Amino acid sequence: MSVASLNAALARLKKDSSYGAYGAVSSALDHFQGLEKPYSFLRVAFLRNFTLDPLIPVIKGEAALAEFFPEIYLGGFDQIPQDVFDPQSALYQFKPDLIFLLQWLDPLAPGLTGRFASLSPEQVDDEIARVLALVRQFVTMIRQYSDKPVVLNNFPLPSYPAMGIVDVQVQAVLTLNAGLRQLAKEVADIFLVDMMSVLARIGAERGIDERYWQVGRAPLGPAALLPVGREFGKFIRALNGRTRKCLVLDCDQVLWGGIVGEDGLKGIRIGTTFPGSCFQDFQREVLNLHDRGVLLALCSKNNEADVLEVFRSHSGMLLREEHFAARRINWEDKATNLEAIARELNIGLDSLVFVDDSPFECDLVRERLPQVAVVELSAESWRARSQLMAGGYFDALTFSGEDRQRTRMYRDDARRKVLSAATGTLEEYLAMLGMIAGIGRAGEAEISRIAQLTQKTNQFNLTTQRYTEDEIRRLAGDPAVDVFYLRLRDKVSDMGIVGVGIIKYQAQQARIDTFLLSCRVLGREVEKAFFSCMIDAVLERNCRLVRGQFLATAKNAPAADFYRLLGFVPAAENSRGVDWELSLTGAFPRPAMIGIEVIEPKE
Amino acid sequence: MKISEERLKQVLADVFGIDVRQIGSATSVDTVKEWDSLKHLNLVLALEQQFDITFTVEQTVEILNYPLIKAVLGEHGIEFC
Repeated sequence: MSVASLNAALARLKKDSSYGAYGAVSSALDHFQGLEKPYSFLRVAFLRNFTLDPLIPVIKGEAALAEFFPEIYLGGFDQIPQDVFDPQSALYQFKPDLIFLLQWLDPLAPGLTGRFASLSPEQVDDEIARVLALVRQFVTMIRQYSDKPVVLNNFPLPSYPAMGIVDVQVQAVLTLNAGLRQLAKEVADIFLVDMMSVLARIGAERGIDERYWQVGRAPLGPAALLPVGREFGKFIRALNGRTRKCLVLDCDQVLWGGIVGEDGLKGIRIGTTFPGSCFQDFQREVLNLHDRGVLLALCSKNNEADVLEVFRSHSGMLLREEHFAARRINWEDKATNLEAIARELNIGLDSLVFVDDSPFECDLVRERLPQVAVVELSAESWRARSQLMAGGYFDALTFSGEDRQRTRMYRDDARRKVLSAATGTLEEYLAMLGMIAGIGRAGEAEISRIAQLTQKTNQFNLTTQRYTEDEIRRLAGDPAVDVFYLRLRDKVSDMGIVGVGIIKYQAQQARIDTFLLSCRVLGREVEKAFFSCMIDAVLERNCRLVRGQFLATAKNAPAADFYRLLGFVPAAENSRGVDWELSLTGAFPRPAMIGIEVIEPKE
Repeated sequence: MKISEERLKQVLADVFGIDVRQIGSATSVDTVKEWDSLKHLNLVLALEQQFDITFTVEQTVEILNYPLIKAVLGEHGIEFC
């Protein structure tokens, strides 16, 4: 892949904004070869407690459209604290230019989304306060180690509120969202992506896909991927100074219906009734952009006098000559005229957004001036207003210089306050979680989940042995084998069975056949708690020697050092992996912040 | 609905980032090294978006090779020419 294939994929994306076209750009970026990248790098980190992988191609496409070469760090599923609290974490080593801290409400506050009706008003308030304090702690910790912008999301409203038509659950989520907005206001360079509004725009029933939530904790379905990904794109542009500055408008069929050169002043349609009302509403939106500080320009193939007459004497026109900073009304081609406008206003072509209804003109500009953003209006003029606004090309983080200055002072002040108050280590955070690890031997009720974990777990898996349910059942019934499982819960939620350990015994030796943990509980010292409980069982059998293998795969690097960290020594090495062994002298130390429960099998 | 098979091939090519000419009846989770579990989710979403259909959960885990994808799309009334 080369610059040419990347450009081809980008050209396609500009015309066909489908998920597939984003995927093609994303792949072109992945396979890009050659040391000289066409754009500057942008290192974007995503911390998340849900599966957002399908969004990544859209975000990479958006970055490339803004002429960035994206490098993505995708934090582990539900691993936000591990990345945020540890100064040596993969997040900080990645040195992000921009951090998205994305959370879905269900895992963050199961009380608010699940058993809401069982909560008292005080409990609801406490839960909202807890979530806000947690998010605040995350962002203040990030601020200790990175001064780059952090983008948070707010939460969509429940589609079917817990109390039905007298609901207060919606109000609770709105309160939470207002608290996040306040947080973004107080702490410097914290921004809020309005997930609630984006999902409201597409419709929560369409955007949130219960299937993928159930199957893979991926709440955003096909209908949501593009709108949500593009919303993130707006932040990528705005935070990096890629906000466009000037809106260049065609006239006929854009600012009014009809062709002024043919239909005349009286024949064109612009006014308060359909179809002229569509154009008036479009003009109102353009004026709104003007009020926001966007420069306006005209670029039309017409006799200048005809067009100016419309601006000067048509009573339906909201836009007037004085709103425009530049105009090119002539019979030159539009690419040449756009270049002239950019020169006159002393801005780059990459600051222009060009709006036209003619596919020919739009294609010409896309082809000759790829830096210009093109909005090709549909023939259905009632669509024009949303077509203009959908791109968010002019979205900036603040409205005006003065506003920016004032906000900056306010923020710097608030930031100092926050920083002096910020303390906390991962250990303290973990202790606060109140984790309880439950360890038990597999019974019939657990067999299916245990087999599933051996099938699915790739990262923290020492041997990647895959087992069927029947095989697990047979092992669990074998007196020379222990099949252990680990349940984990904390103050927030019960994560269910998240770990499996299988030990086979022979002649006073214990061999670890399987040891795995679901990736979402990594980095909480849970593996040590689990392991120490397994060692208790080994000691009960009067075994003094434990052996285990690490079999490397393409994905299990996170587990590679496990045996060494526990004090095992390498005993042999072969092509498949390393044999480790450990002579036991007594019980294994347990991490202090995790409570242990031994679960007795149910008969 | 009748669609050209090229359109289907293009969806797979875009998701996996491989040449459309490499897509055919032998394309499967075992022969395409880019086809991992996350790319699979992207593929499912891309197919749903492209053809405006909604798979059952069973279908989403079933479509592990090109002939199966065609068969499942057929169950949604999509034919190829």
